[in-house]
Amino acid sequence: MNMDAVQLFFDIVGAFFVLYMLGYASFLFLAVAVGSSTLYQLKRRNHLKNELLQEYYVPVSIVVPAYNEEITIVSTVRSLLSLEYKLYEIIVVDDGSTDRTAAALVEAFGMEQIARPIHRMVSCQPEKAVFEAPNLKVPLTLICKKNGGKADALNMGINASRYPYFVCMDADSVLQYDSLEKIVRPVLEDGTVVAVGGAVRPCNGAEIQGGRVVSYHMPSRILPCMQVLEYDRSFLAARILFDRFNGSIIISGAFGLFKKSLVIDAGGYDTTTMGEDMELVVKLHVFCREHNIPYRIRYATDAICWTQAPDSLSDLCKQRRRWHIGLFDSLTRHRRILANPKYGLVGFISYLYFLIYELLSPYIEIFGVFTVIAAFALDLINVPFMILFFLIYVLYSAILSLTAFFARIHTIDLKLSVTDILKAVGLCALEVSFLRFILAWVRGTALLGYRKKKQQWGTIQRQKINFQ
Amino acid sequence: MRIEFMLYFYGAVCISMLAFNVAYAVLLRSGESRLTRRTRRLTAAVEEQLGRLDQGLPVDSRHLSALRRKLRRVNNLTAFDRTLRPLVLQRGDDPSLQAYLIQLQPCILYLALIYRKRETTQTAYFSYFLSRYMLQQHMPVQSLQDVLLSYMARENLYCRVNALQALCSFGNAQHVMEALHLQDRGAVFLHEKILTETLLTYTGDHDALISMIWDALDTFSPHTQLALLNYIRFRSGSYPKEMFALMEDPGQDKEVRLSAIRYFGRYHYAPALEPLLAFAADQDPSRWEYATVSASSLARYPGEQTVEALKQALHSGNWYIRCAAAASLEAQQVDYADLMDIVNGDDRYAREIMTYQRESHRIQKAGVAP
Repeated sequence: MNMDAVQLFFDIVGAFFVLYMLGYASFLFLAVAVGSSTLYQLKRRNHLKNELLQEYYVPVSIVVPAYNEEITIVSTVRSLLSLEYKLYEIIVVDDGSTDRTAAALVEAFGMEQIARPIHRMVSCQPEKAVFEAPNLKVPLTLICKKNGGKADALNMGINASRYPYFVCMDADSVLQYDSLEKIVRPVLEDGTVVAVGGAVRPCNGAEIQGGRVVSYHMPSRILPCMQVLEYDRSFLAARILFDRFNGSIIISGAFGLFKKSLVIDAGGYDTTTMGEDMELVVKLHVFCREHNIPYRIRYATDAICWTQAPDSLSDLCKQRRRWHIGLFDSLTRHRRILANPKYGLVGFISYLYFLIYELLSPYIEIFGVFTVIAAFALDLINVPFMILFFLIYVLYSAILSLTAFFARIHTIDLKLSVTDILKAVGLCALEVSFLRFILAWVRGTALLGYRKKKQQWGTIQRQKINFQ
Repeated sequence: MRIEFMLYFYGAVCISMLAFNVAYAVLLRSGESRLTRRTRRLTAAVEEQLGRLDQGLPVDSRHLSALRRKLRRVNNLTAFDRTLRPLVLQRGDDPSLQAYLIQLQPCILYLALIYRKRETTQTAYFSYFLSRYMLQQHMPVQSLQDVLLSYMARENLYCRVNALQALCSFGNAQHVMEALHLQDRGAVFLHEKILTETLLTYTGDHDALISMIWDALDTFSPHTQLALLNYIRFRSGSYPKEMFALMEDPGQDKEVRLSAIRYFGRYHYAPALEPLLAFAADQDPSRWEYATVSASSLARYPGEQTVEALKQALHSGNWYIRCAAAASLEAQQVDYADLMDIVNGDDRYAREIMTYQRESHRIQKAGVAP
């Protein structure tokens, strides 16, 4: 083998990785700096009453798609009924569950079957039965339909909804008592807002009563603990940054608000993808830009939804596999956005970031690991420098995770014990040096056989939510 | 070597961030205790002045000049807000407290001018402060309201909302009208719900304000007109003639006319029946919104003519018109026998929606959720 060619190969790979890491480090730094400062500014603004203090109610339909959610669905609906908001309805769509999801709801709320016609504005599988509940604080509807996947269930919810805005959420999540009020605020503040993403936070370790967090600890298990840190660094900070230039291309399916008429005009949720939440947001960008509709897609950091972070590694892997397939679907379907001036910064920054640092990153990282092994075998690596590089990387990521984490904790007045702080400090290094690589492998292999899984619901082990 | 430099540079940036974070956390904690200390000191000072007022003495001029000096800082103003809040709650009608607030006027006016030049978040806070303490009784000062109008011109949503709120709490119709014109001309969006709800908090004579709105309605943009008409609808049923004219004027904006139609759904007005029936019967697909809102409003006009019109509307090709018609028929509690031709008829869509409305009403009436 020509050693010069090998050396050249490793030089090129080395230069590529330096640029790659530099890009990522700069983005992460920018995201965390902007994210933290935004959270602190928001706290100051609220302290100085720069917020809407009157009660202004925009009517909202909450759509809860459910598949085999027998364990959690009743407490989820009870939590929704306790929200401090006056003008909303709840629509649960049972997507052909094989367990007692529908029966549990019917029994718990004394629901009665009714022949309700549903206006088909976006396509979905037909309904089998519709139930309504009597005399609750707000209307509660249960629609049992033929199985068609989460997107299909959401489309059914849109069809059945009565109000001009709808909120989509997961059946295993709990909305904070003021989350609806907070998520509609951007709509009241700006007439062009068509969608708002809420802040999704792992509820593992939080005790929630009446939609309020009464005590908060880092989760007792290591895996959810690391996810708490990861959520703050990767999701919270990046989304705040993208929000600055109307560049959000993802609103989590766990909690988001949408203008119904626009979603219908854009064709509703795509039932052929696993990442229906991201696909919809990208589609809204494309639709509005192509039809010259002035629009804003916002992120409400104070509209909080508590969700269950997977407790086991196998569940976490399943979740991340789904997310990666969804990302792949969304980016490939709307590839014309990439670097297209018509789509502004969405095409140049958001799309590019998700393409390089989310979709391709597992492959790049796995390639990087193999290259290091090969270089080591050929004695072409400076081992002390490599170790130093890795340690700086761990330190850097860990500190940014902690910055984002503490910024969130301080600005929402949560109190942490010394043990929790030590846990956060200890686990953030573990997260970036181990979990990240495990998840890179999972995401890297996610696309194998993905066509078969596209319309399936995720089957993550549910636990009863501790909602009182 | 350059790579190593970059690595160390990024490491240093991170450590600076961490240091900033720790410093901020410490500041945050000490800030709260400083605010508590300031509030305690101000409470003692105000209590002392209330004691003087109880004895028939005026507020000490040294106290007023100290307030003028201290309250220029927004952190002291928040402490003063915390001081006044429990006092107003516990002894809002106490003559001493009322006298104290009145003697505070020159100080507040001085501060209004100071905060006019501050960044908008602080200006917005000052407007909030003004609207909070029942200022309509203590601050009928023309110049203060002029300052608030200048706040309305600031390009910050919260500044405008808080200033409008404060003006509404003064209860001067002329100033509220000026504020409405200012927001209508401005670049900052004010949602019609915010406008409507804030106007509903107006503490003066609503009829006087509404009369001024009618006189100037044409000078506003359709967006503001809609908010104003919604305010009138929620506030008073005394303006059917004006609303009727708007409803019948094809030159008006669609949303304005729809708002007028909704007015007749809230307040019965016999002359509106004929036009409402005509709107509901309109087959033009481009005018479906008029037909839908009219079908809803007809719920307030029971009678054979209305029932026939609504039954016809049930056969409409438009989903929303059918829904509105069925809901109105149900709201009027039309006898089942009178709907036999619908529930046993050939039109599946009319039958389904009517049956659903009946069933839904029955469930709500009969059932009691656990």
